[in-house]
Amino acid sequence: MDLFFYFLLLQLSSIAAIAFFTENKKASATAHLLLVVGLITGFITTLSALASPDFILKNIKMFGIANNLFRFDALGLYFLCIIQLVAIPTTIYSYSYLKHYNEKGKSVRSYLVFYAVLLVSTQLVVIANHTILFLICWEVMSTSAYLGMIFEKEKKDVYTGAFYYLIISHVVVFLLYIFFFLLRQQTNSWFFSDFHLSPDAGELFIVLYALSLIAFGMKAGFMPFHFWLPRAHPIAPTVFSAFLSGIIIKTGIYGILRTFQFLKPTPEWLGWFVLVISLISAIYGVWYALAQHDIKRLLAYHSVENIGIIGIGIGIGFIGSAYHSVPIQVLGFGGALLHTLNHAIFKSLLFIGSGVIYQNLGTRNIELMGGLVHYGKYFVALFLIGSIAISGVPPFNGFISEFIIYNGFFTTANELKNYYPLLMLISAVGLAFVGGLAVACFTKINSIMFLGKERKEVKHFNISFYEYLSLGIFALLCVVIGFYPQPFIVIVNKVLADGFVPAASSFNLLSINWYLLSSIFLSVIVGIIIIFLWKRRIQRKYGRRISTAWGCGYEGLNPKMQYTASSYADELNEISKSVLVYHKKINEQKDIFPIKESFESHSDDLVDKKILLPVFKSFSGFIARIKFLSYTDIRYYIAFILIIITIYSLIAFIWS
Amino acid sequence: MELVAALQGIISLVLILGLSPLFIGLVNKQKAIFTGRTGAPILQPYYELKKLIKKETINAESSSFISIIAPLINLIAVIVAAAMLPISFARPLISFEGDIILFAYMLGLARFFQVLAAMDIGSSFEGMGAAREATFAVFAEPIFFFTIGSIAFISGFTSIYDIYHSIRLDNLSFVVFIIVCSISVFILAVTECSRMPVDDPNTHLELTMIHEVMILDNSGIDLSLYQYSSYIKLFIYVILEASFFYPFAVQSYTLGIIIFVVVIIILSSALATVETITSRFKMKNIPHYLLFATAIGILNLLIYTFTK
Repeated sequence: MDLFFYFLLLQLSSIAAIAFFTENKKASATAHLLLVVGLITGFITTLSALASPDFILKNIKMFGIANNLFRFDALGLYFLCIIQLVAIPTTIYSYSYLKHYNEKGKSVRSYLVFYAVLLVSTQLVVIANHTILFLICWEVMSTSAYLGMIFEKEKKDVYTGAFYYLIISHVVVFLLYIFFFLLRQQTNSWFFSDFHLSPDAGELFIVLYALSLIAFGMKAGFMPFHFWLPRAHPIAPTVFSAFLSGIIIKTGIYGILRTFQFLKPTPEWLGWFVLVISLISAIYGVWYALAQHDIKRLLAYHSVENIGIIGIGIGIGFIGSAYHSVPIQVLGFGGALLHTLNHAIFKSLLFIGSGVIYQNLGTRNIELMGGLVHYGKYFVALFLIGSIAISGVPPFNGFISEFIIYNGFFTTANELKNYYPLLMLISAVGLAFVGGLAVACFTKINSIMFLGKERKEVKHFNISFYEYLSLGIFALLCVVIGFYPQPFIVIVNKVLADGFVPAASSFNLLSINWYLLSSIFLSVIVGIIIIFLWKRRIQRKYGRRISTAWGCGYEGLNPKMQYTASSYADELNEISKSVLVYHKKINEQKDIFPIKESFESHSDDLVDKKILLPVFKSFSGFIARIKFLSYTDIRYYIAFILIIITIYSLIAFIWS
Repeated sequence: MELVAALQGIISLVLILGLSPLFIGLVNKQKAIFTGRTGAPILQPYYELKKLIKKETINAESSSFISIIAPLINLIAVIVAAAMLPISFARPLISFEGDIILFAYMLGLARFFQVLAAMDIGSSFEGMGAAREATFAVFAEPIFFFTIGSIAFISGFTSIYDIYHSIRLDNLSFVVFIIVCSISVFILAVTECSRMPVDDPNTHLELTMIHEVMILDNSGIDLSLYQYSSYIKLFIYVILEASFFYPFAVQSYTLGIIIFVVVIIILSSALATVETITSRFKMKNIPHYLLFATAIGILNLLIYTFTK
C-alpha cells in the first residue's frame, strides 16, 4: 500500500498543473488527466489489497517511513474503493462539464483546485488512523466541498444553499471534537485502532453513541437532519452534487460503522432507534421526492431515502449485535455496505444525467422538459438503468442490496422469535412501501422528462463522448452488480469478517443462492430477446406503421395537453398533504366572465418550515437584541477580545 | 427425483401460461349468464389473442423505444413471477429462500414498464391511467406483505411454496387468520388486476379506466402481449388465493390438483358475481378501500399475535 501514497501525490500534482498552465483549457485537460490516472492506479492498488487474502496490513509505510497515522483495514479499504470507483467517471464527466464554462470564458481554476483537494481529503478521511489527522482531513473535505459549491456564486440562491451546508458541517465537526476527545480520555490513545469500549462504560457509552449518531447522521442526512441536502444539491455544480450525494454523505455512514467497531456490542434499543429513524427517513424522503419539480432537489430527497435504507441495514446489524447473532449482523451490515456502494453508483449516474440535461436545456424544472428521448435515446436508456436500479427493481444492483436487507428482516424474525416477527414484518412493509413510492417517483421523472412531446422547444441536445463514457461506466456497474453480484459479495463478506463478526463464522452472504438469481435474470434477458425477434417477424408479416395518438376524435393534440408531473403525483400528494406541507393555488373562473386561469403547487419541507425556520427566527430575534454591541470600528472588537481573555484568565486563576 | 421435480415445475408453469386466458373466458361467460346474455364462448380470449397478432401494429407518433420493449419486459416479468407459484404439491420451477421478494419486485418491474409505456404516448388519457396505476400500486404493496408476507414471518419460511405448505389447520386462531388473509388477497387481486370495483374492464370511457386506458394506443401484437400478461397476472393472483386451500389435500398431489380446479372455478364465479352486483368506486375512494384492506391485514395480524 506504500504505492497508494504516490498515487495520491499524483492526484495532488494536478493542482501544480493548474498553476503551471496559464491557458484554462490546457490546465483543465492536464489536471483531469492527472486526477484520472491517479485515481485509476489508486483504485487498482486498493482493490488488489482488498482482494488479496491477507489484506490486513500491520505496518503502513508512507514514502518508506513506517508510521501508524494511517490504517488499511477492510472497512477503510472498502470505502476507499467506493470513493475511487465513483470518482473516476465523475472526474471524466467533470472534464466535459468544465468545457462549457471554458467556452463561456469563466475561470475554472478555483473549481479544479477545490475538486482535487476534495478528492484527496475524502480518500484520506477513510484511512486516517490518528484522530487529529482524521479531523483535519474531515474539515478539509467539508470546506473544499463548500468552496466548490459556490462556484457559480453570481447566482442568487447559491450562497443560501451552500450556507446551510457550511453550518451543518461545522456543527458536525464540533460534535466530533467532543466525541473523539471523550474517546481519547477513556482509552488514553489517539489512534482508532486502540479505541474499544464496552457497554460497561455506562452512561458514557450512550453519550458517545448519541454524539456519533447525531454528528455522522447529520452528515449522512438522516431525518430530521436532512434539510441541508435539498438546499445544497440544486445549487452546487453537478460534479460536486454528484460527489456530495455519492460519496460525502457516505462518510457519515462510514463514521457510524466505525463507531460500531469502537463501541460494541450495542444495546438492543439502539438498534431499534436506528431502524425507526431510518424507516422514517426512507418513507419521508421518497414521499417528498414525489412532490418536487426540480430534478436535483428531487434526487437530493432520494438520497435521504437511500440513506434511510442503508440505515435500516445498520439498525438490523445493531439488533444482531445486541443478541450476538452472526447471521443477523451479516445480513444487516452486509446489506448496508452493499447498498452504500450501489447508491454511490446509481445516484452519481442520475446526478450526472441531470447535469447533462441542465447543460443542454438550461432548466432544472421537469415540467418544462419532455420528449428528450427523440433527441438522445442512448442517454435516456442509461438514465433509465439508473432509475430502475434506484427503485430497487430487478435485475439491477438496487435489488441485490434490498434483497439482502429483506433477508435480514426474515432472519431476525426467525432467530429472535417472540414479538420480533410482527415488528420485522412492519419494517418489511415499510421498505416495500418505499419501493412502491420510488417506482411511482421514477416513472414520473422518466416519463415527464423524456417521453411524450417536448413541452418547451429543445434548441440543442448534444451529449459529448466524455459524458457518455462517464454515464456508461456507471450504468455498466449497475448492470454488472445486478447480474453477477458474487465478486462484490465476496468483498463485502471480507469487510464483515474484519471487525464486524468473527471471521470463522459459518454463515456468510454467500449462503444466499446468488447463482440462481443470476440465472433467473439472465433468462429474463434471453426471454426478452427471443420475444423481441418473434415480434419483429410478426410485425414484418402483418405490418407496422406510425400514426397519431387517439384524441377522442379531436385533431391537433398539443404538448400542453400532456400529463404533467404535478398531475401525475397529485393523488399521492393529496393524501399526505398535512405532512408534506403541500399546497396548491388554483385561480379558476368562478364568474360568468372568463379570466386568466392558473395553477401552481408547492411543497415545503416540514422540518424546514415548522422547526428550523422558527428556531432560527427566534435566534436572530435574540441576536437583534444584543445588536447594540455591534460597532463599525474594529478597535472596539479588539477591546472585547481583551476583556474576554481577561475574564477567562481570571476564572482560570481562581479555579486553580 | 430432481428431474421429476423440475418437470413438475415446468408443467405447473405451462399450465399457468396455458390456462390463464381460459379463466378470463370463464369469468366473462358467467358474467354474461348472470346478466341474462348468452355471452361469448369460453375460449374467446384465445381467439382474441390470436386475432390481435394478425393485426397491423400502430405506434403513436411521439412513442419511442420504450413502446417497443415494454410489452416484452412486461410479459417476461409476469412469466417469471408465475414460475414461482406452486400448483398442488409440485415445487415451482423457481423456488429458493427469499423468492417472495423477487416475486413482488418482478411484478414491480412489469408495472414500471407498463407505466412508462403508457406515458410514452404523450396523451393525457394514458397519463391518467398511469398515474392511477402508480398510486394504487403504492397502497397495494403493503397488502401483499401483510397477507402472504405475514405468513412468511410467522412460519419462518421465505419461499412461496414453503409458505403455503406451512399452513396447518390444527390451530383455530391460525385458521381464522388464514381466512381473513385470503379475503385481503382477493381485494389485492381485484386492485392489481384492475377488476371491479376498482376498475371496470368493460367500459370504454377513458376517464373511468386504469389498465384499459394505459393500453389505449396499442394495437396488434403489442396489445396481444399486454392482454396476455394481464391474463397471466390475474391468474397469478387467483393461484395465490387458491393455494390457501392446499392444506385440505393432505399432501396428495392428485387431490391437490382437484382442489386447484375446484377452487379456480369457484373463484371465477365469485369474481363474476362481484363484478355483476357491484359498481365501480369513485376513483378518489379507491385509496380508502385499499387502506381499509391494509387495516384488516394489520388488525388480523395483531389479533393472531395476541391470541396464539
